[in-house]
Amino acid sequence: MNGRQGRSRLAWLLLAASFAMVLAAACGGDDDDDTGGGDVTYGKAGFKTIEIASGQPIKIGYSGPLSGDLKGIGEPILKAVELAAKGKTIKGHTIQVIGKDDLCSADGGASAATQLLQEGVVAVVGPVCSGAVVAAQPQYEQAGITHVSPSSTAHKPTYPDRGQVFQTFLRTTYSDDIQGPAQAKFARETLGAKTAYVVYDTDAYGTGLRDAFTRAFEKEGGKILGSEGYEKKQTDFKAIVTNIKNAKPDLVYFSGFYSEATPFIKQLRAELKDVKFLAGDGVKNDEFIKGAGADAEGAYLSLPSPVYTGEAYKTFGDLFEKETGIKRDASPFVAEAYDAASIIIRAIEKVATEKDGKLVIDLKKLNEEIRKTELDGASGKIKFDARGENAGGETPVSLFQVKNGAFEQLKQ
Amino acid sequence: MPVALTLSVSFWSDQFVNGLTTGSLYALIALGYTMVYGVLKMINFAHGEVFMLGSFAGYGALVAMGGNDLSGPAVALAILGAIIVAMSASVSASVVIERLAYRPLRGAPRLAPLISAIGVSIFLQYLVLEQTSARAKFYPDIFPRGALGAGPFEITYIQLFLIASSVAMMALLYAIIQRTRLGRAIRAVAENPTNASLMGVDVNRTIVFVFILGAAMAGVAGVLYGLFFQTIRGSMGFIPGIKAFTAAVLGGIGSIPGAMAGGYVLGLAETVGRELLNELPGVNLGNQWRDVIAFTLLVTILIFRPTGIFAQRSTTRA
Repeated sequence: MNGRQGRSRLAWLLLAASFAMVLAAACGGDDDDDTGGGDVTYGKAGFKTIEIASGQPIKIGYSGPLSGDLKGIGEPILKAVELAAKGKTIKGHTIQVIGKDDLCSADGGASAATQLLQEGVVAVVGPVCSGAVVAAQPQYEQAGITHVSPSSTAHKPTYPDRGQVFQTFLRTTYSDDIQGPAQAKFARETLGAKTAYVVYDTDAYGTGLRDAFTRAFEKEGGKILGSEGYEKKQTDFKAIVTNIKNAKPDLVYFSGFYSEATPFIKQLRAELKDVKFLAGDGVKNDEFIKGAGADAEGAYLSLPSPVYTGEAYKTFGDLFEKETGIKRDASPFVAEAYDAASIIIRAIEKVATEKDGKLVIDLKKLNEEIRKTELDGASGKIKFDARGENAGGETPVSLFQVKNGAFEQLKQ
Repeated sequence: MPVALTLSVSFWSDQFVNGLTTGSLYALIALGYTMVYGVLKMINFAHGEVFMLGSFAGYGALVAMGGNDLSGPAVALAILGAIIVAMSASVSASVVIERLAYRPLRGAPRLAPLISAIGVSIFLQYLVLEQTSARAKFYPDIFPRGALGAGPFEITYIQLFLIASSVAMMALLYAIIQRTRLGRAIRAVAENPTNASLMGVDVNRTIVFVFILGAAMAGVAGVLYGLFFQTIRGSMGFIPGIKAFTAAVLGGIGSIPGAMAGGYVLGLAETVGRELLNELPGVNLGNQWRDVIAFTLLVTILIFRPTGIFAQRSTTRA
């Protein structure tokens, strides 16, 4: 009996020790506050030359959610990419868009990258989600394939953990380092919120936006009363709602996607009718209003996109609605996706040369050409800085409120 | 995060009710695991999917009866109807699964039915995911909102309904097992199938009834889950299935009161337990830690009591 008990004590001790270590490791990961510009150093990218035989199409990849709850984000973006490629030929070669479903997940992003590289794509639009971007970046960098995300807004893709910036990653949208502070300013000044409770998706997008908002909100003199995470597909938010009820914040800030924001806001509104609700681009989708119904009323949403005023947006929007039957503002980032694909196609046009009847594309030259882009596109002015960040726009954050079952843009 | 000692009585009572609510769901589902284990000594890993099918059937029934347009007394009737439809769907699914995937393997090595169960589970999950293109469905928002309360204590109508109906279902099941001929047959088969068949008990028929009873509980749980969380999807059976299995092991697999107790212990540990840990200085475990806490509890209890909280006794075993 004694020996048995001794053994189980030891097992218990080991268990407690390992648990403590996991905790320490998990908590240690939170202190990367590198928001400064700093020097940009690149790692090594495996640029090669791709040859396309005559009669074969030029392949452009797409990686994003095409099934599951977030299909509502990924599908319109793919349609916009296809629209940009439609009918285009470069030196007699048509352009084929190869769409891969990455389910908006890290695993999916990495496996979509493997598949697209095997298909022999010359460039990629995406991944759509930041979690997938972070997981796929090393593969694209190693293969020298430039990928332009129309929608990944997180801090991590342009400030990678490894320190060296990825040469092959660029984005046509704006970083959450812009969206987060803009939301915080809106919350403090326009909504008059002194306190906030943060609920976040534990992926790269959710945590990145959480950090950007939290820092800016506290800097503006606001107080964060609590911060709790959830995993994708979670439906039980009761324990969080109880914590919110207890903390009595002026504002509930949600950094995640509409698939979880929908059950969350239903459970929140069942108990707290009046607390203000603010979320970012992941929630600003017609699917949110469809799912949450009356509970979505009054919610505030932001988009890291300029207020689209340009003629190019109107032209694109009309074409997009005519060709796809999807409303231009039903889901965000379609204009950014159209621009990303157009930038890639224009750059291929410039660098592609013919040799022995084959089309030759030097991936290094293609990358340099894309980086040099200056475009007055559907989503506004686009040019890239050294990190691959879009440094073109003037008013990169717009705000909305749900009123009578529709998003109403707020004046700023 | 809430700071130590500032938490009010109403906070703890709210979290306690939340724990009881999820605990009720775990307990209802856990019964199916524990009863099947009791008679067959096998883990029915497809049980989480039986729960999911019930939830979808209930959703279909509610939508067919008018969905969000229901109001007044029609709501009560619709919910009752949905529960009956869900129970029938779960029961039929479970009977078919037993006949096709488990019965041919009776007497085979113990791993064979286990693998078969995992196969059925994956098949059903992806079948429904495919049919719904993996998107969530939203239960009609018909249950009256609002709460009963006295001072700091408060319980919403839906939570009260959920807890009360699961307790009623469990009481009914317990009465069936303890008081009826069928129950006696189930207990006899659990104790010794060979002896039971020698005493004139039809073992195969009894086993089918065990699956029926477990599936009926899962069907009810499916509708309650849908009404409460309002979001259902093809993959929804997996985590509650694993949690309910954990609850069954926690309580002592094979024991019916054990499964019920295990469900509540697990539900409370995830909510009240987590918040209690947060009262310790320097500890700040957000909602994302709930699964870590649930499974740490399982490992810890198994180290000290490998047979679970309720040691198996032949009288309580089904």
